[in-house]
Amino acid sequence: MSKHSALNTFGRSGNPAFTKNFGGSTYDIPLEERMTLDGAVNKTGILLSLCFAGAFIGWNIPALLIPSWIIGMILGFVTIFRRPEKAGSTAPLYALSQGIFLGGITLFFEAQFPGIGIQAIGLTFGILASLLFCYKSGLIKPTENFRLMIFSATMGIALLYLVSILMSLFGGAGIPLIHSNGLFGIGFSIFVVSIAALNLVLDFDFIEDGADKGMPKYMEWYGAFSLMVTLIWLYLEILRLLAKMRSR
Amino acid sequence: MNTIIFGGLAIISLFVFFNLAKVKASSKQLDRPNRINRFQKHSTNNIIDGESKEIIEDDEKNS
Repeated sequence: MSKHSALNTFGRSGNPAFTKNFGGSTYDIPLEERMTLDGAVNKTGILLSLCFAGAFIGWNIPALLIPSWIIGMILGFVTIFRRPEKAGSTAPLYALSQGIFLGGITLFFEAQFPGIGIQAIGLTFGILASLLFCYKSGLIKPTENFRLMIFSATMGIALLYLVSILMSLFGGAGIPLIHSNGLFGIGFSIFVVSIAALNLVLDFDFIEDGADKGMPKYMEWYGAFSLMVTLIWLYLEILRLLAKMRSR
Repeated sequence: MNTIIFGGLAIISLFVFFNLAKVKASSKQLDRPNRINRFQKHSTNNIIDGESKEIIEDDEKNS
């Protein structure tokens, strides 16, 4: 029996992306059809290239901001909840549409705070590389408790954002303080950036574990997709944090 | 200056990512008992299904 009562009560994780049973015995899969680290990294490269291409489009055609965000969200949910095995076709479309969205939103931030886009890109990739080093060297060791903690915090933030959006839609001003450029608002943004960054560690572990256990080839796309989701979220949060700090 | 510093950081970080990510994690990371068990790995079972009989040393000596 686990020494943690929360794990015993609620199970290991409620996240369908993490608890889904991805295929049967790995011994049935031929060697060349198994997930590899190289494959997952190459696919991440493809998705990043598509995201940059999308950002170029979004930067030049900002009217595509809202449609691309909606399409990206739908594709993201379909990939996570309905068709992980089809990630090879949905993930590139997701990266492209989210890239268009990021290009458009960066343009808006750049108009107010020149140079903020490149700062956010540099910090995002800087965090990515440093956390990858920490993970590979064993400085950060993700465990079940670590995952439970990050998952709970991520869901809490998602719920808070959802409530804030709903309040704004019905004529309210959203949840006070968290969007402000005061100390509380900046502190909240730093917390969200930290949680988004720690989600990267879970993504690295997901890819490493999948490759180690010889999961099916489509998991390379799925791993690259999950890394892209976290990177896009991290970039947006860094952008918001920098905007808050520069508007003071 | 801003573009050079942060652009450089982005390029160096991407270079580090694409090289480091292809390297297998250290044994300190991989060989530990508290790893997250996402995929139920099917381990080979050494126990053969069927009727088992307890071996008693006295029985062996008597026979």
